Amino acid sequence: MKKEGFGWRILRDIVLVLGLLLILVPLYIVIINTFKSLEEASQGFFAFPASFNLTNYWELINKNNFWTYAKNSTMISVVAILLVAVINPAVSYAIARNFNRRYYKIIYFYIILGLFIPFQVIMLPLTKIMTGMKMLSPSGLIVLYVALSLSKGVFMFVNYIQGLPLEIEEAARIDGCNTFQVFTKIVLHLIGPMLATLVVMDALWFWNDFMLPLLLLNKTQDYWTLPLFQYNFKTEYSFNYTMAFTAYFMCMFPVLIVYAFGQKHIIAGLTAGAVKS
Amino acid sequence: MTTPKSRRESTADKLTNVFFTLPAVILYSVFFIYAVFVGINYSFTNWDGIAKAYEYVGFKNYANLFQNQFFWKSLTVTVNYALLLVALTMTVSLVLALSLNSIRHLKTLTKSVFFVPSMIGGVTIALIFDQIYYRLVPTIGQALQFKPLMQSPLASAATALFAVVFVNAWQAVAMPTLIFMAGLQSVPTELYESAMLDGATTFRRFRYITFPYLMPTFTINMVLAIKGGITSFDYAYALTQGGPSRSTMLIGILIYNDAFNNMKFSLANAEAVILFLIIAALSLVQIKLSSKGSVNTL
Repeated sequence: MKKEGFGWRILRDIVLVLGLLLILVPLYIVIINTFKSLEEASQGFFAFPASFNLTNYWELINKNNFWTYAKNSTMISVVAILLVAVINPAVSYAIARNFNRRYYKIIYFYIILGLFIPFQVIMLPLTKIMTGMKMLSPSGLIVLYVALSLSKGVFMFVNYIQGLPLEIEEAARIDGCNTFQVFTKIVLHLIGPMLATLVVMDALWFWNDFMLPLLLLNKTQDYWTLPLFQYNFKTEYSFNYTMAFTAYFMCMFPVLIVYAFGQKHIIAGLTAGAVKS
Repeated sequence: MTTPKSRRESTADKLTNVFFTLPAVILYSVFFIYAVFVGINYSFTNWDGIAKAYEYVGFKNYANLFQNQFFWKSLTVTVNYALLLVALTMTVSLVLALSLNSIRHLKTLTKSVFFVPSMIGGVTIALIFDQIYYRLVPTIGQALQFKPLMQSPLASAATALFAVVFVNAWQAVAMPTLIFMAGLQSVPTELYESAMLDGATTFRRFRYITFPYLMPTFTINMVLAIKGGITSFDYAYALTQGGPSRSTMLIGILIYNDAFNNMKFSLANAEAVILFLIIAALSLVQIKLSSKGSVNTL
């Protein structure tokens, strides 16, 4: 390992401590203020709460349709991720193992094209298309997420699969497996790491996404996702910031829990994906 | 070549392969490619988004945009935003990567904490910082007697852009840091050891060993960050909706507003097409840059 000079080490420690503060202080502020009433908070923004008062939380859960929004977000994210985890590997496997055929090569570059098209280009036409197809609902959003996940997913998977040795699949074929069986019994297991990376990236995207729900689900309050709820909440509770913080924290909470348990895998998966790309 | 050549392929196999591709191709074609053409088509009309009928007006929308002050202002704001974001994100993430890479104790824990910001939703963190800017910053500004911070930075056209960039960067730093750290691992340690034997200072070691190895990572990070900055929407929309005085009117927000609030649907589509062309040009630059040398050409 490098041995740093004393001066550099001090500098590095200062940088890291500053960074940690910058990250933790906002989170600290949010969390402690959820336990205060508005009066208590206006007396001391930074102060530790007098007690762990759960009033705000109860009020949030009971007064608003919080569970509806949480349910929408969860359903959309989970179903979309499952579909993404099936469709992306399937099309990538077909492309990767048939790259010498024109059809598959064309499809590859066709789908990769999407990486260069910014979302704003399709954002407006999509609203009209979805309206026309009567897909302005969580299910419609799921279909859209799957469609939009393809460019990145195919890009990542095709490269990954092409790096896998052929012998295992060949052996399976000699044993009599057809393509479908090779895919389900063998390839799906081999692409585990890359699949994990894609799932983490896309799950984060679907769960935290604001734009697509804003475009497609905003009109019907029953269809709101958590990000939409938070945004619309802002106007309703612009002065009652303790309530607002409670809402924001409750929306962050699931992600933080998942992260707390899975951080090693999440970070490892994302690093691996980053290195590959 | 990873494609098996000598294989008697049954019809069942051929069909399986085709079926594997069908859902993807159909979904992608309908909801992506078709949408692009629909959008381009709209840009040549005068549709306001609601009326039952519209006409084709050729390049009128594009001609309008060419002279449109608001459009040019948005472009400028967006470019400034992207440059600020990239400068801030790249420097901070590089410094962080170097720092994190060299600590010995509590490395995993620290890394984990630094990655938390990217887990939280963009809107959530924007709304949280909105409150912090509104309630906390003026207190600090008063205490330090520092004029720009005596009110929420989001309220003043001079400081709003910086305030939004800061929030964006707060989240955006995590991923490039991770990528840089991965890049740093690829540097062979023998080089550092022999450099130290030769008496090279830390700075020299960085400049002649670390940096060349990081160049490809750096380039890719840069271009991704620029594209991210140009298409940024969530933070500015949640914090300022483009104000005050359009000082944070990023192109994405302009397009959204023109389409849904100003009844200028076809104009908004034209704006989107122009944005598309800009990003396409940037992507070409990216491809050219990444096909040029990495450390292998040293």
